[in-house]
Amino acid sequence: MDDGAVFKALADPTRRHLLDRLFERDGRTLSELESDLDMTRFGVMKHLRILEAAGLVVARRSGREKLHYLNPVPIRLIHDRWIDKYTERHVSALAELKAELEDSA
Amino acid sequence: MSTTIAPATTQVYQVYIRATPQQIWDAITTPEWTARYFHGARITVTADHYDSFSPDGDRWGDEAVLEFDPPRRLVHGWRSLYDPEMAAERSSRVTWEIEPQDGDYCLLTVVHDQLEGAPKTATSVAGQGWMGVLSNLKTLLETGTPLF
Repeated sequence: MDDGAVFKALADPTRRHLLDRLFERDGRTLSELESDLDMTRFGVMKHLRILEAAGLVVARRSGREKLHYLNPVPIRLIHDRWIDKYTERHVSALAELKAELEDSA
Repeated sequence: MSTTIAPATTQVYQVYIRATPQQIWDAITTPEWTARYFHGARITVTADHYDSFSPDGDRWGDEAVLEFDPPRRLVHGWRSLYDPEMAAERSSRVTWEIEPQDGDYCLLTVVHDQLEGAPKTATSVAGQGWMGVLSNLKTLLETGTPLF
């Protein structure tokens, strides 16, 4: 909904790490997410709240557990709004070149 | 860039859309709307059944409707009949939730779960799948024109 909240959420390395963890395996508890972070539970909760406010993480109850899911739609909307408009042609040309070079390597 | 990570068996997508619950409900359940943002699929949802047809009239979806509570909540089965390998996989489930927010917009949540018996479908709907459909739906409802 608000590009600013998404950019702000993505600006922090811990929050990007949390998104990468959810990308690897979606639907995790707070305990799982904090397990490899050198940070207090409250610190991780604070980061998750910012990610939730930006719509990048959705928390849903499953029985007694609260599971966190990666919601990629806001990133897609930023892509549509910013990347498509300014650089899509250049980016896709470069991506194709990279794919071709890597395939032939 | 490719990835070998196993797709999630529960996937959650959310998007804010500046539209009324009824407009979003109609966009999800009537073929005139779905054809404009859902890969051209002509989808008809009634309290009894979920039907989806390709632009050429091929059957893409033929599912039971599990919950039908217009304009707030819809739950239906999912099997991707447009692909023979995915069509052979077990059925999964799609839940749509429409929640009005302060102001003139709604929060649309799509949960695609019970994908344990459908790994190819899970990969197909993840990433560009639902994300593309939902961003296209948002753009269509807010601007009158889909993205692609």
